[in-house]
Amino acid sequence: MAEPARLHVAGGAAEPADPSLLLQRVARGDDAALGQLYDLLGAAVLALARRIVRDPARAEEVTQEVFVQAWQTAARYDPSRGSARTWLMTLAHRRAVDVVRHDQAATDREDRYDWSSGPDHDVVSETVTIRLEQQQVRRCLDGLTPLQREAIELAYYQGHTYPEVAELLDANLATVKTRMRDGLIRLRDCMGVEA
Amino acid sequence: MTGTNELHDLVAPYALDALEPLERARFEAHLDTCEACFEELIGFAATAARLGEAHAETPSTDLRDRILAQAASTPQERVLRTTMPPRWRRALPRLAVAAALLLGVAGVGGYVVEHQRVSEERDQNVAISRVLGAADAETSTKSFSNGGTVRLLTSREQDAAVVVARSLPSPGEGKVYQVWMVSKDVPTSQGTFTTSGTMLMKGVSSADALAVTVEPDGGSEHPTSDPVVTIPV
Ligand SMILES: [Zn+2]
Repeated sequence: MAEPARLHVAGGAAEPADPSLLLQRVARGDDAALGQLYDLLGAAVLALARRIVRDPARAEEVTQEVFVQAWQTAARYDPSRGSARTWLMTLAHRRAVDVVRHDQAATDREDRYDWSSGPDHDVVSETVTIRLEQQQVRRCLDGLTPLQREAIELAYYQGHTYPEVAELLDANLATVKTRMRDGLIRLRDCMGVEA
Repeated sequence: MTGTNELHDLVAPYALDALEPLERARFEAHLDTCEACFEELIGFAATAARLGEAHAETPSTDLRDRILAQAASTPQERVLRTTMPPRWRRALPRLAVAAALLLGVAGVGGYVVEHQRVSEERDQNVAISRVLGAADAETSTKSFSNGGTVRLLTSREQDAAVVVARSLPSPGEGKVYQVWMVSKDVPTSQGTFTTSGTMLMKGVSSADALAVTVEPDGGSEHPTSDPVVTIPV
């Protein structure tokens, strides 16, 4: 994903790869901007999809769907309401979660609990670029209590609903909701996200 | 059903996409009226997105080309562009909102980016929110082999239903899906969509079923093909 955009952009080669500007150009039908957006966030979307849906081929399908959906619906992006990164990653996460729940609804649900010894941190072995930002995210995750971290990772990285998380952790629903909330607050503050 | 106090507690699970579909829909209806939850969600959503960016993985070399090729043959959505008849066209802002409200229709980047429009359309949105928030809301879903779904949420109390079609297989060149409310074997058109769409249906107490057929672009006065989906109301 460190690879520079391959498509020449009319109007200036020095145009900064700001995802919000790219997304607004995508909304106007600029496919070169879609390519640049992919260069910027494609590897992150794929890694996230891979963590959630597990199957590499399925994860690439999800990634393709996400960027095509970004193309289709970029006009809905409103820059005054959060960053384009958030918009795209939210889209990607929602899609991956919907896919994994749909797929798993068709299989024996017991299968999903096989790994219940804990979240698998080694699924994504092929990390290519670790940016400072990514290191910061990991450092912030390390700053959570084990229970907060488990609750958030089971939901966000494994695609479990909070009732499923409660079952997996043998905790009650209120406790799980509280852990998720406290954990997100701590992460938010650690990452310096505007509240 | 989840009480209002409990709904306030769902911001974090919602930001993590950890709600069941119906609860998700109810929480999104709640967000429309709860400024506190919405404000908190902005930060949580950005935080969750950062979690999503914590890893990177090298895609297949041809994935980029596949995406650009598919985009080249995929029409872009213009806000408010529609093939729906006039009365549905008027309702479209609300329908677009409902698409976001319900189950995070694929293609909508979550509630955060839609919220401003929601605010502007607050009044128009009430009917759909009422269906979603109704204590007696019932949901039924039909799935397609490609993962697409048609979902019907019905409230007897509100005498209304919300239909959400999501990521259906393409109906084919020059064709659309048309939604019908069927009462005593008489179908009444509720609007058309290509692969995804959302619509509110009123007066469902007299309806027997919802049906979806494939019709020529622009829709038909009467169904010209067998339904691809029927859902009893
Ligand atoms: Zn609230």
